[in-house]
Amino acid sequence: MSLPDLVQNALHDALHRSLPAIRPELALCTTIVCLLLAQMILPRWRSGPYWVTLVGAAAALAVLEPWQWLDVPAAERLEIFTGMLVVDGLSVFLRSLLLVFLLLFVLLVWITAVPPRDDAGELFVLVVGATLGMCMMASANHLVMVVLGMEMASLPCYVLAGILRFRKPSTEAALKFALFGAGAAGIMLYGLSLLAGVLGSLHLPTLATQLALLMHSGPTAEQSLLLTLGSLMLAVGLAFKLSAVPFHFWAPDVFEGAPAEVGALLSVASKTAALGLLVRLVLAVTAPAVMAPAATADIGPAADSFPQQTTADADVAGQGSGAPAAIVNSNAARPTAILPDALAPVRRFIVGLLSLLAVVTCTFGNLAAYGQSNMKRLLAYSTIAHAGYLIMPVAAAVALTGGIAPDAPASGGVAVGNASPGQTAEADGPALGHSGDVQTIGERLAPRRIAGAAPASAAQMAVASVLFYLAVYLFMNLAAFSITAVLRNAIGSERIDDYAGLVRRWPSLVVCTALAMFSLVGLPPLAGFLAKFYIFSAVVKAELWLLLAVGGLNTVLSLFYYLRVVRAMVLPPAPNDQSLPETAARRIGRLYCIGVTIPLVALFFWSETLMQWAARAAAGTF
Amino acid sequence: MNPFTEPIGVTHYLCVGAVLMVCGMLCMFTKRNALGVLMGIELVLNAANVNLVAFGSSWLRADAARSIALDGQLLAMFVIVLAAAEAAVALAIVLCYYNTQATVDVDKASKLKG
Repeated sequence: MSLPDLVQNALHDALHRSLPAIRPELALCTTIVCLLLAQMILPRWRSGPYWVTLVGAAAALAVLEPWQWLDVPAAERLEIFTGMLVVDGLSVFLRSLLLVFLLLFVLLVWITAVPPRDDAGELFVLVVGATLGMCMMASANHLVMVVLGMEMASLPCYVLAGILRFRKPSTEAALKFALFGAGAAGIMLYGLSLLAGVLGSLHLPTLATQLALLMHSGPTAEQSLLLTLGSLMLAVGLAFKLSAVPFHFWAPDVFEGAPAEVGALLSVASKTAALGLLVRLVLAVTAPAVMAPAATADIGPAADSFPQQTTADADVAGQGSGAPAAIVNSNAARPTAILPDALAPVRRFIVGLLSLLAVVTCTFGNLAAYGQSNMKRLLAYSTIAHAGYLIMPVAAAVALTGGIAPDAPASGGVAVGNASPGQTAEADGPALGHSGDVQTIGERLAPRRIAGAAPASAAQMAVASVLFYLAVYLFMNLAAFSITAVLRNAIGSERIDDYAGLVRRWPSLVVCTALAMFSLVGLPPLAGFLAKFYIFSAVVKAELWLLLAVGGLNTVLSLFYYLRVVRAMVLPPAPNDQSLPETAARRIGRLYCIGVTIPLVALFFWSETLMQWAARAAAGTF
Repeated sequence: MNPFTEPIGVTHYLCVGAVLMVCGMLCMFTKRNALGVLMGIELVLNAANVNLVAFGSSWLRADAARSIALDGQLLAMFVIVLAAAEAAVALAIVLCYYNTQATVDVDKASKLKG
């Protein structure tokens, strides 16, 4: 194939397949440009940045079209830009959460007027930039995108932490966040380089296949040492983003120093993206697409032959002669039923690591929250504890992927674990086996369709429970932080003791606080209860009893400090010197808090739609 | 295998990378000046770069099949850009911190705790 043809194919692939798939990201990029232009052309238009961001976020959500994924029975997986990004149910779900959060965040900042209106343009450029990075984290399929997404999400957050740049606590928070964050990113990058070097690829599915083959053939001592070291270092970066315990120390300081609105962004959006990335990484490694259990596939090479050819060519053009040989070698040895067992040690390692992280994070977060007198600091520890709860079902999902392969009938040893033996289910197997050259890469990168509604496996339900929890968590934490922000504007304090007697002045806000706090504990009839219930049922299915015990114990522990906030508002008598005259800003602030609390009740009674969507999104990742 | 008599291969580069990494970590954890910590972070990032370029080189590796080829060098380029961006942001923040507290000593950044 000649060079012009290659260019033509690459262009066609980018323009007709890849670019349409990242329309939300393009909308966000456009928003950033518009924000910068608006500041330059119309500097006097005070509410301009708010409108531009609001419209941009709404447009991004509209072109993402999450409702299309609500009733698509089959999850579809589309690798774009020669495998750099992947668009599937999980990425659409996470990106919708992120964009919904962006919309609500703009409204919150508009209402609470942080920062001073003149800085609003800069604030939104940073926030939209961070959201863009988080969207890329949510759909990363290549280690380059993992690194880029994480950095794009982190860098604006460092600045956001110090957005009130003349306040001492704010600059200190930003300094700590930037130094710890950059250090964690550096360590993670070193770990990534080790992993990529040992496994010989940066493309996640390829990397997973290589790992399976390596484990099958038995790694040397040096290789296992490097793999362990690399994955631990990678875990450092992820644990930092998740604020999991050994790397949590930035969270309380940053949350206390930064405005409550930025705290909401860090605790909701940043964590959503990091958790999505964690799920993607561990599932890519422990359940490689080759062994997809529910892959009753109908990938015809005819269905999308042109893009396949294109990606294949583009890859060859990009990688020179070395890499394709490696991939072909791996394909020759691929269709074996032994591979799932070969991954068992990897799975055990990841489950152990995640369980340890979850147990320590959860317990530490809840215990440290007790002595806090500052509301934002208390919420920071609560965020840490919730990171622990959120890691639990991921560990469960990894443990459960091991249980899938033996259940499924192995037909002829070729198709590994196909759900329905009637249909020929070789997901990638035979297609990859026969053709000995570049064609194979094309088929690997080709969209893999999973037809028919396969019954959701336990592992899928575990991932679905994570997604459901993230959706509920968005509203719980946003409610808690927006109440803090509204109260800060009203009474000028973030100390819990200063909330005394609020119940007589603003009963509606106290009810909102109570609902948000009880939902964070996980009491019925609130959405937080369902979220915790799904998580613990996933843990039970995986028979990780230690996690269940720690999770249950921590839920009880957390009840007391969340209740303390409500108690401080209700029981002590109001100080007489304070009066809260009703102003328009305060009324709107209260209405906003009520608005974000309503979903906590609504999602409890109408949870089916969300759970079904989460289950579908989860099914697409396997 | 004696590394001093072997022809230069990936291993040698990995050793350089590891030394850089350890120096960077030491620098990060022992420096009290915020700028010193940033320098440590740069060292760690460059250690990763050395690794990536070495793994990506098709001449250094005997088994070309395992080479990450251009991907390694691509990521190294991105890391250089990221390091620049990170340095810009972190230095701006350090300057901001200096403006409010008149120091860049990270041990003095202890107003927030509890």
